[in-house]
Amino acid sequence: MFGESGCGKTTLLKLIKKEIAPYGELKGSIIYNNKPIDELPDKLSACEIGFVGQNPDGQIVTDKVWHELAFGLENMGESTNNIRRRVGEMASYFGIQNWYHRSTDSLSGGQKQLLNLASVMAMQPKLLLLDEPTSQLDPIAAADFIATLQKLNREFGLTILLVEHRLEEVFPIADKVIAMDSGKILACGSPVEVAKLLQKSKLSLSLPTAVRIWYGLGSKDVPPMTVRQGKDFLEKHYSQCAGRSVAVDKYSGAETVLEAKNVYFRYEKNLPDVLKNFNIAVTKGEIFSILGGNGTGKTTALNVLSGLDKPYKGSSNVFGKKISKYKGNSLYRNMVAMLPQNPIAVFVQSTVKEDFYELLKAMDVPKDSAEKKVNEVTEIFNIEHLLNKHPYDLSGGEQQKAALAKLMLTEPKIILLDEPTKGLDAFYKESFAHILRKIKDKGVTSIIVTHDVEFAAEVSDRCGLFFDGQIIALDTPNEFFCNNSFYTTAASRISRELFKNAVLCSQVIQLCSNEAGEECP
Amino acid sequence: MKAFSSMHPFVLMIYFLSVLITAMFINNPIIQFSALFGGIAFCGMLTTAKQKLSDIAFYIPLLILISITNPLFSHNGETPLFFMNGNAVTLEAIVYGVFIAVMVIGVMLWCKCYSLIMTSDKFLYLFGRVLPKPAIVMSTALRYIPMLKRQSAKVKKAQKAMGFYTSESYFDRLRFSLRVYSVLIGWSMENAVETAKAMNARGFKLKNHTSYSNYKFKTVDFLLLALNIALIIFVFWGVGSGAVAFSYYPQITHIDTSAFSLAVYSAYLILVFIPFFIEIQERIKWNCYRSKISALHTQRMKKEQ
Repeated sequence: MFGESGCGKTTLLKLIKKEIAPYGELKGSIIYNNKPIDELPDKLSACEIGFVGQNPDGQIVTDKVWHELAFGLENMGESTNNIRRRVGEMASYFGIQNWYHRSTDSLSGGQKQLLNLASVMAMQPKLLLLDEPTSQLDPIAAADFIATLQKLNREFGLTILLVEHRLEEVFPIADKVIAMDSGKILACGSPVEVAKLLQKSKLSLSLPTAVRIWYGLGSKDVPPMTVRQGKDFLEKHYSQCAGRSVAVDKYSGAETVLEAKNVYFRYEKNLPDVLKNFNIAVTKGEIFSILGGNGTGKTTALNVLSGLDKPYKGSSNVFGKKISKYKGNSLYRNMVAMLPQNPIAVFVQSTVKEDFYELLKAMDVPKDSAEKKVNEVTEIFNIEHLLNKHPYDLSGGEQQKAALAKLMLTEPKIILLDEPTKGLDAFYKESFAHILRKIKDKGVTSIIVTHDVEFAAEVSDRCGLFFDGQIIALDTPNEFFCNNSFYTTAASRISRELFKNAVLCSQVIQLCSNEAGEECP
Repeated sequence: MKAFSSMHPFVLMIYFLSVLITAMFINNPIIQFSALFGGIAFCGMLTTAKQKLSDIAFYIPLLILISITNPLFSHNGETPLFFMNGNAVTLEAIVYGVFIAVMVIGVMLWCKCYSLIMTSDKFLYLFGRVLPKPAIVMSTALRYIPMLKRQSAKVKKAQKAMGFYTSESYFDRLRFSLRVYSVLIGWSMENAVETAKAMNARGFKLKNHTSYSNYKFKTVDFLLLALNIALIIFVFWGVGSGAVAFSYYPQITHIDTSAFSLAVYSAYLILVFIPFFIEIQERIKWNCYRSKISALHTQRMKKEQ
């Protein structure tokens, strides 16, 4: 099930599980196994309908992994021997045995989400409801999670109802797809049927790359779903266009505004280096993306560049001046700003507006110009409707926007963004990319740390691959993603046999058509 | 390695209770010294060399400090040794000071062993047997503390990067750290709602909870418990019959050396050295196994050649 944020898909999902159903007026009925949901016995509803949400942390109840697995079974009043067997079974099936005795707090996000799934599965549900379970995970952990779901479905015939906005992998493997818009079901059917139905809809934006290429090329034949089908599709219909390439300019930057030279960093004396001989030079007005695996130290690199963490060797300069030479908070006034991975950490007040004014007050901005500044950013970010809301009441995408807007009040020349697209749907991503370009036009430099290859390919001027404590490859997005064979966009993987340097959907579509916009003969 | 800690939590709890209660309330130098040495031996088994050094550096000055505090403030006793500021410093007070110090440090060492052995999940297990729902609440709280710490660090970093913490003024810093705390309360409420929903989704509201644990009551657990109870009953019998009675004031009494008292002392000595013996036995066994493993390995290598 998919749709724009706020279209009601989560509400619908939660209504199916009566324990967590939102309050409000409900008409109509939801039938489970020929019985209305609210007439189901409590125990049956708790066991047979399992639910996994999007926040890996919020759903974990106890402090130990083994206890978390046993929690649901304890509630059902199972005997110790029964619990022991089922917990052991689950731990083996999900590969948890190696961290069975650990405390839940020491797990990674992917492990936490797997634990949430396993502890729901221990109760032997017949229907599994999942609400964007991979939105807070990195791509590798997300792919693992989806693979586990697929395995559960294949091996146990488990019914799975999944709400997701990252559709690249999930869409092709679904038996049935539901597209929702403004509380209504827009389309429902097999992936191919839904792909055909959604061509004119704005929801088409969130579909897999292969489908979007198919849309762009006049949608003949059957829509391809996966990268492999996309490749076959291009080969079958556009082999005569082979050899075309996207023209790429070498990147020519202006003056360097942020620079790190031979930086070494470690958190503690006895821990290994996180940054090893880390070098970077970012030029004015550039959007620079740092990509790389999880836990490799990308966030640490941002912290060092923002002066939050101090390297033990090497130096980093902002506008030619060493970071350590910036006294007090001068580095964070009209200079550097950082958007953390969890944007909620930026807010401390009870409304977004109060937060904005508090920051301006701390910066000693007089009242009348403060108002002008607030109006200015609200306009750029288009967040008028969010100003009087509590930051916690905003959706993930809204929080991201409002947080960046708050940072823009300090009028930074350099913005560091940590995973800005985490958990955002395709529409928010697009509007976020738009905002980044707007800021860029004002001469602001952005450095983005991200897992999101598609987003990086779309917005960046240059992309760097972070590995083993340093940036090991650096190029314009077209060259960068075409030289990578695994760490690259779906569009590049689909088109690399035919075309050179195409990394975006739009580029593939363009290369398949000639200058006049007509298709190849 | 830690053989003693793999015993059933219930047995461990009974053991620590028996040792701590006797060490605290039996006023007898032999008992107190036994408890101290038992504690030292056991603690020594659980800590690394570095920790041992820092323990010695902590406990010896503490011992001296407590020992000299008593005669400075207490002037009871029949044998004055010398006068200080017109107050008698008596032999009894000095001896009593030393014994108090021995008792306090003995109890501290045993408490340290307790905290190393009785981890939160063992305690929760015992607690959960009696009160299952409060035990879950405690487990949730234990999970929240590190989460809250981490979020606090994140908020502080984010605020610092907006120039809030780097301000030179002390007052400003204080104000903003208070603000971080208030925002953390909001954050934890938000999280608590989600956790509560997750708990209900997994049937927390159902009746007839059971409490699961990884612990099994083994034969050794039974043996240890039986030995523990037998010894402690014997010691209490000794206490009740006055065989180990002792007093420091007004005059230090003699230590009873009748056969029965000696038996009580030995029983107590055995009690406090149980964990030490178990650990030692386990180490010997382990070394034996290890040499067996390497012997098997060399045999295999020879065969392959």
